Amino acid sequence: MLRAMLRDLRAHKGRIAMTLIAITLGVAFVVTTWVISDSAAETLRGRDIRGDVAVTVRTVGGGPELTPAERDRLARIPGVASASGVAFGYAGLVGQDGKLTSARPTLAGTGWDSSDRFALVAGRTPAPGEVALHERQAREAGRETGDRTQILLSDGRSVDAVVAGLFTYRPFAETPPSVAFGDPGVLGDRFTRVELVARPGADIDAIAAAARDLVDPALRTVATGADLAAQAQARADDSAQSSRESLLGFAAVALLAGMFVIANTFSMLVTQRTRQLALLRAIGATRRQVRNAVLVEAGVLGWIASTLGVALGIGLGLLGLATTGSDDTNITLSVSPTSILVGYATGVPVTMIAAYASARRAAGVAPVAALRTDGSFAPRSLVARSILGGVAVAAGVVAIVSTLRNDLSTTERIVAMGGGIAVWLGVLFLAPVLANAVLRPVGRVMSRRGGPATRLGVRNSVRDSRRTAATTSALMVGLALVCAFATLGSSITSMLSSSIQATVPAEATVVESPVDNVALGTDVLDKARSVPGVTNASADRYMFVKVTHNGSTSQTTMSAIEPGGVIRPEVVAGTGDVRRGAVVGENQAAMIGARLGDEVTLVLDPTTSVTTTIVGLHKGMEGRPLFYVDLAVMPAKLKATTVTSVYATGPDAAAVRAGIEAAFLDRPDVVVTDRDGVIKEATEGFQLLLSLMYALFGAAIIIAAFGVVNTLALSVMERTREIGVLRAVGASRPLIRRAIRVESVVICAYGGLLGILVGIGFGAVMNHAMMGQSLWEFSVPYEIIGAALIGMVVVGVLAALWPARRASRTDILAAIGTT
Amino acid sequence: MCRGGDCGTVVSVQTSTTPAVHATQLSKVYGSGSSSDVKVIALDDVTVDFPRERFTAIMGPSGSGKSTLLHCLAGLDKPTSGQVYVGGTETSSLSDARLTALRRDRVGFVFQAFNLLPTLTAWENIVLPLDLAGRRPDQAFADRIIDGIGLRHRLGHKPSQLSGGQQQRVACARALITKPEVVFADEPTGALDSKSSADVLGFLRRSVDELGQTVVMVTHEPTAAAYADRVLFFADGRVVGELTEPTADRVLDRMKDLEKVDA
Repeated sequence: MLRAMLRDLRAHKGRIAMTLIAITLGVAFVVTTWVISDSAAETLRGRDIRGDVAVTVRTVGGGPELTPAERDRLARIPGVASASGVAFGYAGLVGQDGKLTSARPTLAGTGWDSSDRFALVAGRTPAPGEVALHERQAREAGRETGDRTQILLSDGRSVDAVVAGLFTYRPFAETPPSVAFGDPGVLGDRFTRVELVARPGADIDAIAAAARDLVDPALRTVATGADLAAQAQARADDSAQSSRESLLGFAAVALLAGMFVIANTFSMLVTQRTRQLALLRAIGATRRQVRNAVLVEAGVLGWIASTLGVALGIGLGLLGLATTGSDDTNITLSVSPTSILVGYATGVPVTMIAAYASARRAAGVAPVAALRTDGSFAPRSLVARSILGGVAVAAGVVAIVSTLRNDLSTTERIVAMGGGIAVWLGVLFLAPVLANAVLRPVGRVMSRRGGPATRLGVRNSVRDSRRTAATTSALMVGLALVCAFATLGSSITSMLSSSIQATVPAEATVVESPVDNVALGTDVLDKARSVPGVTNASADRYMFVKVTHNGSTSQTTMSAIEPGGVIRPEVVAGTGDVRRGAVVGENQAAMIGARLGDEVTLVLDPTTSVTTTIVGLHKGMEGRPLFYVDLAVMPAKLKATTVTSVYATGPDAAAVRAGIEAAFLDRPDVVVTDRDGVIKEATEGFQLLLSLMYALFGAAIIIAAFGVVNTLALSVMERTREIGVLRAVGASRPLIRRAIRVESVVICAYGGLLGILVGIGFGAVMNHAMMGQSLWEFSVPYEIIGAALIGMVVVGVLAALWPARRASRTDILAAIGTT
Repeated sequence: MCRGGDCGTVVSVQTSTTPAVHATQLSKVYGSGSSSDVKVIALDDVTVDFPRERFTAIMGPSGSGKSTLLHCLAGLDKPTSGQVYVGGTETSSLSDARLTALRRDRVGFVFQAFNLLPTLTAWENIVLPLDLAGRRPDQAFADRIIDGIGLRHRLGHKPSQLSGGQQQRVACARALITKPEVVFADEPTGALDSKSSADVLGFLRRSVDELGQTVVMVTHEPTAAAYADRVLFFADGRVVGELTEPTADRVLDRMKDLEKVDA
């Protein structure tokens, strides 16, 4: 019994090849993810852990730094071989373009020492007057050993230094610094932490205890090197785990697409073998035996595909690491047994689950079917499926409609998202009915217009709407995700742009730091004001703060602006006059439950807060300031030091731009741009993230394309006789090929259109629920949709190549099988 | 280049004296050359004529090569040697594209069963060869054929909604719609009951008498052969006898004789 099935499997290698590819790709994606995240964790583990430090003593956030006297006292603890002070301070590395590199300069400088913090990868140890650079920052700045480079220090000082060497860095918890000065005195004589090295055989815990006795616990934290190493390890594992989780999300989508392909293939294989199955039942096989045989077949297939997928996944993972490895030298390649196990643990069950419905159907074949000449199932009713789909869509629509307002609570947002997902699932269930409803009329029109090949192809594509739907479902899921995120991305981008456009005048010249969210020098605003031709110069002071309203506190952003300055929030309710109080983003106000006239407290830092009244609502946007307040309410000490952007206007915009550019020509810490530049900068990183997502969802679409090939190939086999008749009555080979191609393109275009529509809809819901925008305020990502439509036609044509070739070569005599 | 359905009609010289189909020294050998045990000789040097406007039946025991002969005559199969002329055109040397065009424009087929396209309606099945050629049906002629098969009220139905006999009559109409040189029928009543068989055979008979068609039919039923003008008896790849103006009884007698000779 089992042997009969397995023989059958072997006899139809061609039929299952595409299913095999679908599972293999899905499994490979999972395994690749696992290998890459394992290797990343292993790499961090191998590199970042320092063993040279016994105990560290460091300042508690914001407190006074350690002094040389404290260091010397710590050095005298019994068992301590040496104590070295480690300082971090402002260091702005200036690149070849004369501007700061993207690393935050605040704590980017440190003094060179001989500890295990540094590992030289090029050059030599920096002497006083020289520097060593972190190799990544050096690459960004375009500097090599032997070059001279400018480095900005705090208070506007700067040094020119020779780059003596390049290093990689092992941190305890700090961000790796960009610059290590050969002369530690550059950063002053205070330390962020003191590192104690123990004598061989000394009791580390005793040293730590002694250090604790020496320092004020309110100002200093004492930790052993082992604890810090363990913490660093935990962080490395955490980051590997979270990147693994996000990648596995994409892998799950790919596997889902694979499941549709597998389910469809098995359904067709069972249909084609109806007579054989009936024969087995007629000669005494039980239902259970038939069902299990099909499941075992799926298991074997899953096992073979998983083996291939594991091998491919490991290969791709290692290849991926090897090609991106230039960024971080010495990546540890790690293929854990878990990654292999995970490959099998997904591939085999996924295949068996996908095949289960077909196995049950196979078991239900009546023995008498063996005697019927046309071995096929009666078409299964779509009623139950359609009702389920209809209910899901209706429930989803209700959930979305009931949460149409913009000021949604968190629960309501979740309801709206759930509604979006329900509609999506509902459409998947309704796909066969929709295929009938959409493709039949389209088919009639195309039949009237087109030639016989079009007519035959279109008819065949609607022949079995369940099969068409199953084939297109995988495509639909992949494309819907791409389009949903494209819609969300395009909506966010266009809203960011329009928000910036509404707030910043087109003719304003903008002065910013080259580093994101870093305050400009205290002189920049005054210097801009004094440029001839500038009649109005004002600033944005973008800050991450906490807001307290009705006793609950949450994170937000704010900016203090000059009343009557260049920046004008886009007011939707109340007033935009910050002299009367705060102007708040409407969605932010809704989120904290605040209304016009409510009092809120903005907590700038632990010692500074501002209490104000909400007087206006503006069209808020994540990524832009949510609270606008009057500069006058800011404490004096923060007024000058928090400027993030300066906006200057004047009667002659071009003269203003030229004047400002001239004024800041030799300032590496300042870039001059305009509104378009601000928009570009705000949306750029986002676009990159979206492109990455498209690439990852691409795997699902590739799998879906193989599914189309598979369905077509199996359909062609089922229709051998028909194709033979067609050839006999005078259809040429090219006509047969064209008909198959039309069928393929129709199926792909249907899946594509459905995916695009669902995707745009879901994108709009995401935009509404996640970004707090109105449901209708989404923008359509035309480029992506155009690319998707063209892509679907291309997939359709490519997927038809092999099946069409097969069909056109059908042997007429064998097909009509008259003898 | 000749592509798809765009090929022109294969031109030939025809006179009323040339037979509709003519085969000379036709041989078909299956199995590869050298070893003689695996060789099967299906057609053994067959020379035969099928005159115009006549209904010819080919009879013989199974394995006698009668179906192979039909396939070779119809251009569905290539003979190992010898020539086939359909309306004066030599077919064994034609390219696949020209052969396809010949089948489409000048030959009609009726197979044993299941040879309608399930996605097309009865009417669409009937006009399929014209559709493939990009031609419009001659409405008057189409009406005659449809009235002949008596299925005017069922033209919009799919094959699955028609009985076996109705399907086969649609197939006959499809074979005739192009006014072919010859209609080949391969056991057209093999899967039908006697009433449906009589309908189909009666229609083929009338197409010869009233429409001036030429029909060549392979069958093993003496009652079916009795509808023909002439019966050719086939055995071991050769024509072994002929009967004109057959009746079922005479055909049966002749078959018995052949089997005796055979035994």
